[in-house]
Amino acid sequence: MSLKIGIDVGGTFTDFLVADGDSATTFKVLSTPSDPSIGLIDGLTEIAGSRDVSLSELARSIDTIVHGTTVTTNAVLTHTGAKTGLVTTQGVRDALEMRRGIREEQYNNRYTNVPPLVPRYLRAPVAGRLDYKGDELEALELDDVREAVRLFKLEGVESVAVCFMNAFANPQHEREAAKLIESELPGAYVTISTDLLPSIRFYERVSTTVLNSYVGPKLSSYLDSLVLRLQEIGFGGVLLIMQSNGGVMAPEVARDKASLTLLSGPAAGPRAGLTYSRAHGHDSCITVDMGGTSFDAALVRDGAPIVVNEGEINRYRIALPMLGIVTIGAGGGSVGWIDEGGLLRMGPESAGADPGPACYGKGGRRPTCTDADLVLGYLDPDFFAGGKIRLDVEASRGAIEEHTAKPLNLPIEEAAAGMYRIINNNMAQGVREITVKRGYDPREFPMVVAGGAGPIHACLIADELDIPMFLVPRESSIFCAAGMLMSDLQHDFVRSFVGDLDKLDWDALGRVLTDMVEEGTRLLAAEKIPEDRSQFQVSLDCRYVKQYHEVSFPVSVDAVCQAQLGEIATLFHREHNRMFGYSLEQEGTPIELINIRLRAVGTTEKPARAAEEPSGADPDEALKGERRLFVPEDNGFANAPVYDGNRTRHGHRIVGPALIEQVNTTVFLSRSYDCVCDKYGSFAVYQKGKENRGAVTPGDSAATGGTAA
Amino acid sequence: MSNVDPILLSVMARAFKSITDEMSISLEKTTRSPILCEAKDFVTGLYDGNGNMLEQTENLPILSFSLGPVCKYILKYFGDEIYPGDVIFHNDVFSMGNQNNDVAVYKPIFFEDELVAFSAAKGHQADIGGAVAGGYNPGATEVWQEALRIPPVKVYEKGKFRKDVWDLIFANIRFNIVQEDMRAEIGSCVVGERRMLAFLEKYGRECFENHKKALFEATRKMMEAEIGTIPNGVYQGESTVYYDGKNHGKHYSIRVEVEVEDKRIKFDYSATDAQSNAFVNGTYTSSASATVLTLLQMVNPDIPHNEGMVEPVEIVIPEGTLLNAAYPAATTYGNHLCPANADAITRALAPVIPDRTTAGWNHLLCSLTTGRDPRKPRQDDKYVDICFMGLKGGSGAMRGVDGYDHIGMIDASGGLLDQDYEMFEQQTPHRLVHHEYSCDSAGAGEWRGGLGVETVFEIGSDDTQLVVFGDGDVEPAFGLDGGGSGSLNSIVLRYPDGSTKTPDSLDLIREVPAGTVYHQRAGGGGGYGDPRKRPAVLVAKDVNNGVISKKAAEEIYGRKT
Repeated sequence: MSLKIGIDVGGTFTDFLVADGDSATTFKVLSTPSDPSIGLIDGLTEIAGSRDVSLSELARSIDTIVHGTTVTTNAVLTHTGAKTGLVTTQGVRDALEMRRGIREEQYNNRYTNVPPLVPRYLRAPVAGRLDYKGDELEALELDDVREAVRLFKLEGVESVAVCFMNAFANPQHEREAAKLIESELPGAYVTISTDLLPSIRFYERVSTTVLNSYVGPKLSSYLDSLVLRLQEIGFGGVLLIMQSNGGVMAPEVARDKASLTLLSGPAAGPRAGLTYSRAHGHDSCITVDMGGTSFDAALVRDGAPIVVNEGEINRYRIALPMLGIVTIGAGGGSVGWIDEGGLLRMGPESAGADPGPACYGKGGRRPTCTDADLVLGYLDPDFFAGGKIRLDVEASRGAIEEHTAKPLNLPIEEAAAGMYRIINNNMAQGVREITVKRGYDPREFPMVVAGGAGPIHACLIADELDIPMFLVPRESSIFCAAGMLMSDLQHDFVRSFVGDLDKLDWDALGRVLTDMVEEGTRLLAAEKIPEDRSQFQVSLDCRYVKQYHEVSFPVSVDAVCQAQLGEIATLFHREHNRMFGYSLEQEGTPIELINIRLRAVGTTEKPARAAEEPSGADPDEALKGERRLFVPEDNGFANAPVYDGNRTRHGHRIVGPALIEQVNTTVFLSRSYDCVCDKYGSFAVYQKGKENRGAVTPGDSAATGGTAA
Repeated sequence: MSNVDPILLSVMARAFKSITDEMSISLEKTTRSPILCEAKDFVTGLYDGNGNMLEQTENLPILSFSLGPVCKYILKYFGDEIYPGDVIFHNDVFSMGNQNNDVAVYKPIFFEDELVAFSAAKGHQADIGGAVAGGYNPGATEVWQEALRIPPVKVYEKGKFRKDVWDLIFANIRFNIVQEDMRAEIGSCVVGERRMLAFLEKYGRECFENHKKALFEATRKMMEAEIGTIPNGVYQGESTVYYDGKNHGKHYSIRVEVEVEDKRIKFDYSATDAQSNAFVNGTYTSSASATVLTLLQMVNPDIPHNEGMVEPVEIVIPEGTLLNAAYPAATTYGNHLCPANADAITRALAPVIPDRTTAGWNHLLCSLTTGRDPRKPRQDDKYVDICFMGLKGGSGAMRGVDGYDHIGMIDASGGLLDQDYEMFEQQTPHRLVHHEYSCDSAGAGEWRGGLGVETVFEIGSDDTQLVVFGDGDVEPAFGLDGGGSGSLNSIVLRYPDGSTKTPDSLDLIREVPAGTVYHQRAGGGGGYGDPRKRPAVLVAKDVNNGVISKKAAEEIYGRKT
């Protein structure tokens, strides 16, 4: 027997999805932030108990563990990374701290810069200079490097970043310096900028390199301890680590490129979303995940999550490819308040889990989104988290009355409805960020809804954006753990190769690409991926000459190796036109290449999913009662049926307004929406009358249909 | 107010902001001139059918007040003759424009056959005709030597493109890139129109009008509450402009009288000196923008930017003064009078709201190099580089917080980004030698000023043209409450033969040879409070990091190291 387990370590809970053949079970245990591997082993112990086997029997039966970790993310958010030194070109050591001179809040004179991850006195200047082509102007001064090492020893530096001007075009100086550092500062974690990110733009590179060194030692020691613990219990299978780009990698790769895990947490969501939407014939989707404090939205298009090459974490720039996930401060704990002008606002402040919403009775006095959901009848006070937490409706009403209803001169229910509406609107804006603002029409995508609180709000988010259909997976509360088992091995490479397309040395570019493919093949081979499961995807970053922003678009390996100039130009014009509404094809403006990118993908084995036989459309067998709840379309309360989500069957059709309750999730159907249960137990929700615009028919939910228009 | 849903009001405020943000992103990503796509010297906004501001995305705060007044002028100018499908251009500084190079596009939005709103965008164009490419002409004495004047003119009427009008305009502008960037502005207005119409279809006209009024009201109350916390009284402030580009030794005073009466605030510039006979002159809009942005930094930064925000603010700038020059004066430098204007306001208000005013910010001293890149084969392949990294000094400290290092002048407040070093060496033939914080540049204080920077690069093209404009080379950023002043701005050229040249603060230098070393210092911001009260640990940290010298620590901060 061989099990696959997805493990998502979050701030509060560690989620598990155990795939056993075609059946899947879910587990949740409390996280142990001081050493997350303890909570992880606790969870495995609980899983073993539930299967009536010993921990070591369980461990021996696992063939794959895929693991998402927030170790590096937390190190950056809490400033607890390694003491790091930077070795850089003389004259530019402050680029890291200057961040190109930005102040994000322009009218706020109390807004301060983020503290640099390497203080100025540990940013050591080194003489030696390359020109813009990588030719040496001045030899590397190794004595300066020795001087830096002396300082680092004295100061107890554990980790070093090496980043020189124009090294993207010639890594020689960086390699020489690193060699010296490694020999004179043994045991130090060293990152060479061109090993991590050999692409042009100094600030992007130095910031990313420093982040890598800053989090590297912490991730390494965590992985060491995790591997040891797993060995101790007898695990002999494959351990894979989730990366920010939505792929997975071996722990050995993660050790050297620790910064690839900076957004490991939510990165599995889009892949999970794709699996669910594919069951309905859609190769694209929007995923939304509403937790306690934040709301993550991402886009999957043509079978692949959207990747961006520029991002930031806690205002630190990171230029490695990562999923384009937008996070906004909207969650169950978001606090409702009245601003100076008398307008109702929700968040971004959150009551968190402690004291939490007023209804938790743990001392929270201010009204949150969860309090509004409770007053509006969407939550059952006796069945929250399956009845583990008893909710106090009167506490919610009191908090809403004092902080929002009275100031607005509204009855409590109306104020609660207002809070509900505002937060839904905020989340809809978050979805706009990943769609409209990037040139995509949200109406063309089904939405996959995750997170405990998400499905209560999904109808209204969908309605605001006119999205005709959304899906709530049965595993929506442990969405990312599920997504991890569906992710492939994935490695991204980039090289800068600057020049006008019509004057480019295409042979040289072809050689660069061949090198990148070889490197990818080598990495995948080390991860035991045979050639027939390896794939390579090439893309180019180009721009019109004198533009400042590049457009990235996919091309074939052949197009590059055979210098198919016309073909490449056409693809660029088309993508520019799609994103910005025009191209300069007619004007004949020259196109400039900046970077070539390669993604090496090793396909992993995915767990199968059992399909349920269809039953009738009548959901009566799942009906568990009736509740008075707020119906937004009526702007008032009405009685609505409540169904038990664990008893619904494939083909059941539920007409809104209604509630579907599971242990960790409640789905609210407003009056404009109906739901059909699909063969995997997911809830497919349609705008009334628009079902034929979606892809599913009640009888055969896996049939492929037209795309939603 | 009747029929106002307090919830919808919140939704609406958010929706308008998202529309103007989206317009702004569209413009940033599609324009080609670096001053637009890198420096983001543009503004996008929505206005109602009467020209009242609904929301704006400003990017650079100096543009905070520049679109609304023109919208009102356009309504007056065309009267009933504004139609669906019109696209209107405008830059004229004598009909409420702020700067000649800032060319605006207005697109009227009709709903159910009635004019309901405007979407608008305005950006700094790479050229606008006149005697000198790029528009900076220190020799100008009249507007025509600076620019082509564009009073309100329709380039589309009722959806029909007016090729003749378009060609007349662009026949007078040097670079083709300006046509493309103006198309990008129109595109951004279309984005705004589309979103606004979707909004109107969803909620209806009447609902929009009712809620709009309520929104202005709510914002006005917020602003009034902020003003209400400033003690009533009349406060005077003054600052000096040291050079007008023509008359060496001639100084001008900006004098402001700030009158606070309960919920209203008035800025009266009647005592400011008369206008110059050069191009160092403000326009009403550029000066009023400077006033508004300075005030906005003293109040809650979350106040929405709509008509209600400016309603309690009165600004009096008599025509003929340095800040509102009379027709047909040259005014291209007007935006850059903002730092001096902000200084005068700060000096007036610092004694009464010491917790909300900063010490002086470093002023702009900017340079622009153009030439032929010898690495490129084509003779006509010219580069233009605005040295953003060199011009950004420190902001002033305030009670409780140090100044912001390397932020740049107050009219941009950190919205203007450095060039990337490696891109700089790709796109210009210059080689960067040094760009770091400069030691002892920050004004000393219990809270020190923001650090200035030192920039050195080697010029890589012969016959390079260098344009310099700005100030801060005579008077440093001032300290407050016992704090010291920041360091001065300077630019020095060292020619290959060893000789040096220090350009004037407004200057144009031709034929700079390759191998010349450009050396710029952008000064630090002013300090706040007695430096001897600065905690020893913070002084030690700055010394350890090499941004305060041991000598200064000992002599100014009184800390042995």
